[in-house]
Amino acid sequence: MTAVVRHGPTALRVDDLRIGRRRRVREAVIRTAITVSATASILISTLIVLSLIGNALNFVQQVDPAQLVDEGWFPRRDMFSIPTILAGTLVISGVGMLIATPLGIGAAIYLSEYASDRVRKTLKPILEVLAAVPSVVLGYFAITVISPTVVGTIHPGGQVFSMAAAGIAVGILITPLIASVAEDALHAVPSALREASYGLGARRLATSVRVVVPAAISGIVAALILGISRAIGETMIVAIAAGAAGGSLFTINPFDPGITMTAAMTALATGSDQVRGASLAFPSLFFVGLLLFAITLVLNFISDAFVRRVRQRY
Amino acid sequence: MTAQTAANRPSAARSAVEAGLHSGRRDWTGMAAALVLLLTLIASLAILFVLLADVFSRALPVFTSRGLDFLGAPSSLNPEIAGVGQAIVGSIVLTIFVIVIALPIGITAAVYLEEYAGDSRFARFVNTNIRNLAGVPAIVYGLLGLAVFVTTLGAGRSLIAGGMTLAILVLPIVVITTAEALRAVPLTIREAAYGVGATRSEVVTGHVLPYAMPGILTGVVLTLARAFGETAPLIMVGAITGVFRSDPQASIADRLQGPFTALPTMVFSWAKQPQEEFRALTAAAIVVLLVVILAVNAGAILLRNRYDRRW
Amino acid sequence: MKSALRPGALLFAGLLVLSACQSSASSSPSQSQAAGSEQPSADNLSGDIQISGSSTVQPITSRVFEAFTALHPNVTGFVDGPGTGDGFALFCNGETDISDASRAIKDEEATTCADAGIEYVGLKVGIDGLSVITSVDNTAIECLSLLDLYALLGPESQSFSNWSDANDLAAELATQLGGDYGESHAPYPDETLTISGPGEESGTFDSFIELALSKIAAARNQDATTRPDYQAFADDNVIIEGVAGTADAPYTLGWVGFGVASENLDKVHLVAVDKGDGCTPATEDTIASASYPLSRYLYIYPNLASVTDKPAVQAFVDYYLSDEGIANVAAADYVPLAASDLAATRSAWEGR
Repeated sequence: MTAVVRHGPTALRVDDLRIGRRRRVREAVIRTAITVSATASILISTLIVLSLIGNALNFVQQVDPAQLVDEGWFPRRDMFSIPTILAGTLVISGVGMLIATPLGIGAAIYLSEYASDRVRKTLKPILEVLAAVPSVVLGYFAITVISPTVVGTIHPGGQVFSMAAAGIAVGILITPLIASVAEDALHAVPSALREASYGLGARRLATSVRVVVPAAISGIVAALILGISRAIGETMIVAIAAGAAGGSLFTINPFDPGITMTAAMTALATGSDQVRGASLAFPSLFFVGLLLFAITLVLNFISDAFVRRVRQRY
Repeated sequence: MTAQTAANRPSAARSAVEAGLHSGRRDWTGMAAALVLLLTLIASLAILFVLLADVFSRALPVFTSRGLDFLGAPSSLNPEIAGVGQAIVGSIVLTIFVIVIALPIGITAAVYLEEYAGDSRFARFVNTNIRNLAGVPAIVYGLLGLAVFVTTLGAGRSLIAGGMTLAILVLPIVVITTAEALRAVPLTIREAAYGVGATRSEVVTGHVLPYAMPGILTGVVLTLARAFGETAPLIMVGAITGVFRSDPQASIADRLQGPFTALPTMVFSWAKQPQEEFRALTAAAIVVLLVVILAVNAGAILLRNRYDRRW
Repeated sequence: MKSALRPGALLFAGLLVLSACQSSASSSPSQSQAAGSEQPSADNLSGDIQISGSSTVQPITSRVFEAFTALHPNVTGFVDGPGTGDGFALFCNGETDISDASRAIKDEEATTCADAGIEYVGLKVGIDGLSVITSVDNTAIECLSLLDLYALLGPESQSFSNWSDANDLAAELATQLGGDYGESHAPYPDETLTISGPGEESGTFDSFIELALSKIAAARNQDATTRPDYQAFADDNVIIEGVAGTADAPYTLGWVGFGVASENLDKVHLVAVDKGDGCTPATEDTIASASYPLSRYLYIYPNLASVTDKPAVQAFVDYYLSDEGIANVAAADYVPLAASDLAATRSAWEGR
């Protein structure tokens, strides 16, 4: 309908607001292109799972279940003890979290509750920049500095390569991550809560620890889970510093060398599927990869659940 | 009115506050706690600064004796002539791959999620998917690269395989950071544009994207810096840790299909050599790597803080 | 918006310029390394050479490769060292042109290659001694016999975490074998035993089994292999690192190629080995004369099809076996072949 509305010199007709054909076509094209891009991400997920599953299934079908609980992980000798690599991953992540949790959360509380705005504005970016140090650098640091000095003092007479050295380096790696995310969570707590607490006569420590931290607990837990997830997936530090590259007996002693899931995968990485040793050595790579993928998936779901709780509250 | 009502009677809370304000007693626990917390902050930062100082001091002799030569020399088993030239080129080419592949797909996917998709089940599914992918360890992407690009698609141990693997690794992060930047643009901007008759794509390209650009670029730059430092996936895909030579006159296509190395993988292979000279070389390579990564990160964060728009 | 772009773009442009300089600069240092003012010969030789295999032979082949590409800048390729076993797996799959090996090709590998239609010729290029090493701070262990090595490292020694755990086994072996494989040096010190050595992908692993353990294992009706529970590394230099240990924990044990060990005498010391005729230390002379019990040959295996199809590969092997090329064996701290062996290799190459 051509309703002409005249309100002065510049007349706007309804027709003008209708989208012409050219624009409509362009609109449709762009919309399709964009939707296709979004599906690319799903494609990638499927690719990951498919590429891992094929070989992993191959491994599972051919492996003798008794081999999965052998005394150690020596893939080229047909020994595929899953508990060994799980133990290695847990010990190193455990040592890492032992260091990163107090340091990270302590730093976060200080930055959020105690530091002045100017201090926070300078230090927080520094923390974020330090979080960008690549893990291969920390691996180098682990064998040149951490192993001789720190581990050598706590446990003299130890070996050069140990899970403790790798664990400490992993802790240093994830501290800025935990500090940063936890600080965001603490900072997001509305001032009203703090003010109410001060109004009741509580001092800063009591307010921080008994009011703000509980209010931000979901975000803090999410930060910790993020840290654990990162520690579990960490590869280069353990490949350089934890020793036991070809395999290891089951051990939970942190001062022994040990092998993690990620290091087990790196040991078989020759950039090719031609690997000497037991025929199941190469497919075992994919089985471990699938296991790792599944574990991090579960951790992510848990972390997401916590983050969603935070969003709902405020 | 002045009669003492329940409200006017001095309450327990009021006396406690008064006591606290006027007692003059120092809060020892509080101060101790504050000190402990301050120490944890200092420790977190100090450890990393110690690491940087250690690395820089070990690397200094290499730069003073060989200067910029070190940056240009190819890899070698002889520590006196080994250099990071090939590694730098490799890293740069890989970064270009990431830019060319991951950026367009990532940014458009984020635009879809934020501007087009609404709250459909499909959108939520894609969203969860992307969040999960962002948390997958890098080495699993390396496996993917090995299985799909190196073996099945036959790209072999090449820059192409490495570049595609890194691009896929980085894609979810690009989507997430871009989506957050888009979300920060207030609804009113969009509504105003619709109000004057723009179509959705015109709203996005003409109004939302330009306003979100600083945030998007910061996210992109941070992601590129992260890709620059990734080692594990490149090792899985076959980055050379030994010695290799490429033809300086080979065509770009040939070079892309040939063997490659990158700065982080070079650091990895040198870190395992115990000779004292290689310790210094490793430190020098780390310095190059860190200078790029830290400078880029610092720059991006500073820019983000400066251009943080307050609506 | 533009100012957000600028620093990033500047940095990126800077890196691009730097890389452009590198690409041209990376060829000039190699050219300046070419011997003196010699004119590079056959400058138009080009092609790709892919070499993988033994990490023991890698230092030699890398040196030859670097010198060769200095003379022929248009030749490309790589030299990698994942281990003799992994190297043969790639070689018999047609993925490499030359395979470095610290032992002769095994029967199974030869069959795999034959099945895949890969033809090759085995060329001895040098001699290596398998050094048994311990930390430089460990002065208690000077000599070990084959019997000792079996007691500490053999298949029956799994879970021995202390040197003295092997005392009983050593006594048993002494009774059973007498002095056929050297005198036992038990009782061993009561110290933690830390072992670092090559893994199954390595030729050094195979050579050690063959030279040190296999006969005793046969006499004991055991599999010819080592105990599985030691720190296995594909990288020889990491083995050195592990054996170097710390001043507080010097009771380490390991085995590695002589060339690598002799370059790291500040971290490890070589133990003399007794195979029944007394303790023989590992030196260039004892290895060359084979009086050191754990001597072995080092090989390269060129793929004959590659040699025919790619002139660069043929030229490379020619250069490797020339006087100039073979001098790299000594330069890498390995033992050069005796003149007769070298002549035999050259005629094997000529007559391929």
